[in-house]
Amino acid sequence: MDLLYEYRIFLLAGLLETLKMSLVVALGGTLCAIVLTFGVTSKPTLLLRISFGLMELLRDLPLMVTVLLVYFMLPAAGVSLNPFWSCCAAISVWGGANGAQILRAGLASVGNGQRETAAAFGFGPLKALLLITLPQAMPVIVPPYVGLLTALVQATSLGSVVGAQELLRSGQVLIEQTTIMRGGSPAYLVYGSILVVYFTLCTLISVIGGRIERHFLRPYARGAEAKVGAKVHAIEATISTSA
Amino acid sequence: MTFLDWGYILDALPDLLRGLGMTLVVSFLAILFSLTLGLIGCALRRSCFKPSGYAVAAYVEFIRGTPYLVQIFFVFYGLPSLGLTLSIFWSGVLALTLWASAFHIESFRAGLSSVSRDIHNASSSLGLRPWHHGLFVVLPIALRSALPSTLNTVVGTIKNSAYLQAIGLVELTFVAVDRIAQEFRSVEMFLSICVIYLAVILGISALGHRLEKRLNRPYAAR
Repeated sequence: MDLLYEYRIFLLAGLLETLKMSLVVALGGTLCAIVLTFGVTSKPTLLLRISFGLMELLRDLPLMVTVLLVYFMLPAAGVSLNPFWSCCAAISVWGGANGAQILRAGLASVGNGQRETAAAFGFGPLKALLLITLPQAMPVIVPPYVGLLTALVQATSLGSVVGAQELLRSGQVLIEQTTIMRGGSPAYLVYGSILVVYFTLCTLISVIGGRIERHFLRPYARGAEAKVGAKVHAIEATISTSA
Repeated sequence: MTFLDWGYILDALPDLLRGLGMTLVVSFLAILFSLTLGLIGCALRRSCFKPSGYAVAAYVEFIRGTPYLVQIFFVFYGLPSLGLTLSIFWSGVLALTLWASAFHIESFRAGLSSVSRDIHNASSSLGLRPWHHGLFVVLPIALRSALPSTLNTVVGTIKNSAYLQAIGLVELTFVAVDRIAQEFRSVEMFLSICVIYLAVILGISALGHRLEKRLNRPYAAR
């Protein structure tokens, strides 16, 4: 425990980087998800096929491969990004593919009658989406989306593979530097505490997510939870294992 | 040097296939162990002895709330200082098993709780013994609804085996990255491993769907 206290500044810097990366990835992933959702809900054209293909491809490849692929391929395509941003880009795109699936399922859970009624009342497509469909889709979207956000936070640990200085990389460096000095590896201590930090972060996100979920369920409180629950669990299981 | 050199891919193919072999072996062992552990965990989770249930729940929450990569590092680098030294291969299998079993426990539990009380009551009123009742009535129904998410975890196990390259297990991703480090042909290498992963994963998904259909046949609408 002394060791962790002694190098707290170093580890906290890593944690800060992890938090920064989580924020970037959460925003970037959401943005990608929204763009892809427009693709996968479009009329059956080339655009629809391309977005579906992209979504399936990203969901079927291991995330590790995606991160390495972006890191190694961008220079070949003439773009040079540092490890931090290339890792962020890879995870965001992956998050976008999973997020698009969640958003699509959520929008599909709202009956077609709602859309027809909105059109009959003279709402434009965008207005109907934002004011009619989306609020009703929220109870279906929020729970798996919170799961996705925790998966994204966990995915930032992949930054260490391509050399971004986040929490896990800091831990690795700390272990490398102190093993000989201390005459024994502090690996279990360092990795154990990193596990605890991530667990706390993810639990925090779940708790906040639970509150948001309750907020959106309130207008439909009578029996809505039971109806929505089954769909939600199926989607949640899909997301959390496809990491 | 052209953009895409097919000769180079052919040249690297034996190495890649050896890597794929390792990926499949590790995944297969992990799938086998995690399914067993998942069944045991599920039984403990639902047993009348409360503390064991809580312990399993805590385990599942912890595994799901922490990054898989850190779990691997903890198993490979951390456990030796606690007195358990494993080879790269077995640490990989252990880490993968621990991860997958948490998800299996949850899907089995969901499957079991999808069997309604009425079915329990009906089969016990028909006079089936507890064992027969569990084996021939509850289990088939539970498995049917647990199958999709179990398959998902199985596919996830194969995908997550790619993370094991971080501790130096010579599997498919490791082979590709190693070759890129030597010869800088990233386009060819990533194209090849993407195709291989897609083939394996889509193949297993297709098999899973057939299995699902087959299990559902007795209950299909006539």
